[in-house]
Amino acid sequence: MEVLEIILVIFLVFSALMTVRFDEELISIIFLSIFSLILTALYLLHKAADVALAEAVIGAGLNTAIFMSAISQIRHGDSD
Amino acid sequence: MEIPTETQPEPEVEILNKLMKKTLVSVVLAGAAFALYQSFALMPGYQGLNLGLSNYIIESGLKDTGSLNLITAVLYDYRAFDSLGESTVIFGAVSGIVLILSRKMLPVSSKGLSFIVKRTLGIMTPFIALFGLYIMSHGHLTPGGGFQGGVILAAISIIFSIVYGSAFDYRRYSPQTKTALETGGALTFLGLGLAGILMEGAFLQNLGFLTAETGTLISAGSIPYINIGVGFKVGAGLAIIFYSMIQKTFEEDF
Repeated sequence: MEVLEIILVIFLVFSALMTVRFDEELISIIFLSIFSLILTALYLLHKAADVALAEAVIGAGLNTAIFMSAISQIRHGDSD
Repeated sequence: MEIPTETQPEPEVEILNKLMKKTLVSVVLAGAAFALYQSFALMPGYQGLNLGLSNYIIESGLKDTGSLNLITAVLYDYRAFDSLGESTVIFGAVSGIVLILSRKMLPVSSKGLSFIVKRTLGIMTPFIALFGLYIMSHGHLTPGGGFQGGVILAAISIIFSIVYGSAFDYRRYSPQTKTALETGGALTFLGLGLAGILMEGAFLQNLGFLTAETGTLISAGSIPYINIGVGFKVGAGLAIIFYSMIQKTFEEDF
């Protein structure tokens, strides 16, 4: 259990760094969604099922969709 | 008389400016990290208070509320007023976003994805809806609750917009329907709170006469009903947010 937790934390930090590092927004969003997924696994490992469910649904699902739609609006450039 | 031309800032000045900004940001970040460390270092001092409250809830939460899931018991019974505040925050966010972004046009995002994706999703959608409703209505028995289930229901609307195109979503669940659902959920929450005043003597007090045998679906007083209200409110609100963000001008006919 300890080993799994350490691996998950390392990947968590890695995905957070990658989110900030890339200039391409799409890759950043994908890494943010991976971040949420790893965080969900960590919550579940610590037996916080309610928080894990909320994180999976909001962090990995809803956030990705809303960021994607925001980016598609920016790319087309029609702000009015 | 000559108008004095504006001189360009020297490149050295600009570099210095950038350095200043970076130093300032680093100093602020370091200060914030130090303050955070200091406040976390204080945490063991509060152990006594922590012990008393959580012990009380673990020991008598089931007896007080009849809810097997103690987190839901805290969220919608002991701290129901906080949940009402959270719902109000979401309501404010939805109102602001709709006020800024909404346009009086039929929105068109795309014509949707391919036939295979559409058919597959047609089979899967009822199960997603069932899962969302299960999470919502069994909040007092299993992990989950109104908020999580509501977001799953909002995900259905998002999937419709992406896979079938937003015109389909508009025809199936028009913004008026979503607004009605959101208002209905909020009114359910407030109505149960007022019923608590009338029957039990305090705002959002758990309605004791609704309590049944522990572990059955309709137990735990008013918690399941509050869960369902919050679920529809949150789901409709988030669907409205997504819907007003994908709106674009009238480009193609469909």
